[in-house]
Amino acid sequence: MDDYVVSILSNIGMISFLALSAYLLLLTGEISFGQQAFFAISAYLSGIATAMWGWPLWSGLLLGALAAAAAATVIGVLTLRLRGLYFSIATLAFAEMVRLLFVIFHYQVVIDGEPVGPDGAEGFRDIRWVFENNISVTEYMVIIYTVLVIVLTLFFLLERSRLGSIFRMLGEDTLLTEMQGLNVIRFKVLASGIAGFIAGIGGGFYAHFATYLEPQNFSVMLGVHALVYGLIGGLGTALGPLIGVGLDIGFLEAIRAIQGYRMIVFGGLVAVLLIFMPRGILDEERIHWFRLTWRRWRDAKR
Amino acid sequence: MTDFIQNCIDGVMIGSGYALLAIGFTIIFGVLRRVNLSYGPSIMLGAFVGTLLYVQFQAHAVVVAMATVVGAVLAGMYVERVCFWAIRRGAAVASMVSSFAIWMQLEELAIVMLPERTYPFPPLTETAPIEIGPFFLRSEHLTMFVVAVVLVAVVHTVLYRTRFGLSVRAVSENLLAARFMGINVDAVMFWAFALVSAIGGVAGFLILATDQQVTPYFGLWATFKGLIAMMLGGMGSLPGAILGGLILGIVEVQSLWYLGNDYKDLSAYFLLFLVLIIRPGGILGHALSERERAAFRRV
Repeated sequence: MDDYVVSILSNIGMISFLALSAYLLLLTGEISFGQQAFFAISAYLSGIATAMWGWPLWSGLLLGALAAAAAATVIGVLTLRLRGLYFSIATLAFAEMVRLLFVIFHYQVVIDGEPVGPDGAEGFRDIRWVFENNISVTEYMVIIYTVLVIVLTLFFLLERSRLGSIFRMLGEDTLLTEMQGLNVIRFKVLASGIAGFIAGIGGGFYAHFATYLEPQNFSVMLGVHALVYGLIGGLGTALGPLIGVGLDIGFLEAIRAIQGYRMIVFGGLVAVLLIFMPRGILDEERIHWFRLTWRRWRDAKR
Repeated sequence: MTDFIQNCIDGVMIGSGYALLAIGFTIIFGVLRRVNLSYGPSIMLGAFVGTLLYVQFQAHAVVVAMATVVGAVLAGMYVERVCFWAIRRGAAVASMVSSFAIWMQLEELAIVMLPERTYPFPPLTETAPIEIGPFFLRSEHLTMFVVAVVLVAVVHTVLYRTRFGLSVRAVSENLLAARFMGINVDAVMFWAFALVSAIGGVAGFLILATDQQVTPYFGLWATFKGLIAMMLGGMGSLPGAILGGLILGIVEVQSLWYLGNDYKDLSAYFLLFLVLIIRPGGILGHALSERERAAFRRV
């Protein structure tokens, strides 16, 4: 594969983490405009860990993701009382605060005579762990997708578990969930923390893929895109957000021929799609239908 | 102290523009119970039509203003048909996503129309600032403020003194009941959208005439400034939207003056976050939490 295709595929993989993060919150009925904040926190922190403290990639990624999860847990607690648009705007405000804090965040050390580290609006250059350890772009892509498959598998297990049902129940009706004797607060905060962790994994990968971070990368546009992926792909399965990402990045690259007009075409297509499938491509009903058909086919064969 | 008062004056003037944007969001949200992310971008598209006339034919500021408003209204009507009318009720999230997709479309349309990053926008007046004692008043700001006050009065009159306004309020109050009263809900939504887009067009023109330049980013800027101002004051309340806009303006100018440019947006977002956490309904919103309301509905 040439480097161009590899970089597009890596991008799809990394943004998928962010989309899955927004998807998890969508399952619990919350629309977050702010998942890019956790992506950013982890990107910066894991970059600092590998480029400035000399940590290996794995521990850097883990540190970033854990910090993102911690931040998301705190935000989860703070926004517990908020519902609907209020929640969305509160997460948006938080994410923009994080982005603007990175604009004024300076922390540099001198390594080999060169200052390294986040330099406010100038960005954070030379996160070169991947390059220095002779990992090719293709190998890095394989690493990203391995982790993505692990996360997806966990998602599928989650959907079949009691916890998954509780998350979906929260999305349907908080009051009824509470009447089942479940601790709504605990599960909401848990969902927020897990979502932060997943976004964090993507952020760590992004930092080492791009090697250069600037606060503007993590604007609200990124978050809204991540959110929209799940809603276009459908909320019936964790594959939904991936379909959304693939459609957006992959399809847009594929129609490069009509450069200059492709957002007009794509935006229109998405709008039409939503008229006919307001709950996304793979919504709950369609997934249910697939399952039934599969079972019938299997039983018939037997 | 003089600085502080001067900043407050500037903040109120700038905030009046935000207040207009917030009123647009509040009315749409009241009538449709859905968020229109494309509100800012449709204003931006209108402004680009105006700019096109200005750049190509050196059109007068008044012509540009009219083109901006007409463009914004047409774009708004398009958004209403595609994202709100075509997607049935109950799919509020789909409407929001759809309005985001249309946003991307409008932004690219603007770029196709005028491919450079930044374009000049005609100033409304070229007169020197007015001096009152130790204070200065920029004439653009004063125009913005006066027009905003007039527009708010007009909106208030339309909403509370006309039959159309009555039906708008009826639809916001209770859609089903409004339909039983024989109100053509679809038409009310459509024309409310047009009205709101016109307000947005005027607000957009005034803000851009003050800045004297326009970029495609204006869409994003206007959408989120309007949303923030609305949420600060409290969703679905006209006085709340105005108060939210003014507070946002004052906070921005004060923090710009005392803390520097890096802190301008930061303090605005910080304030918003704080208000939402401490008083989830916004400053003038009702504090009844969602759970209690759901409980009441069930009872």
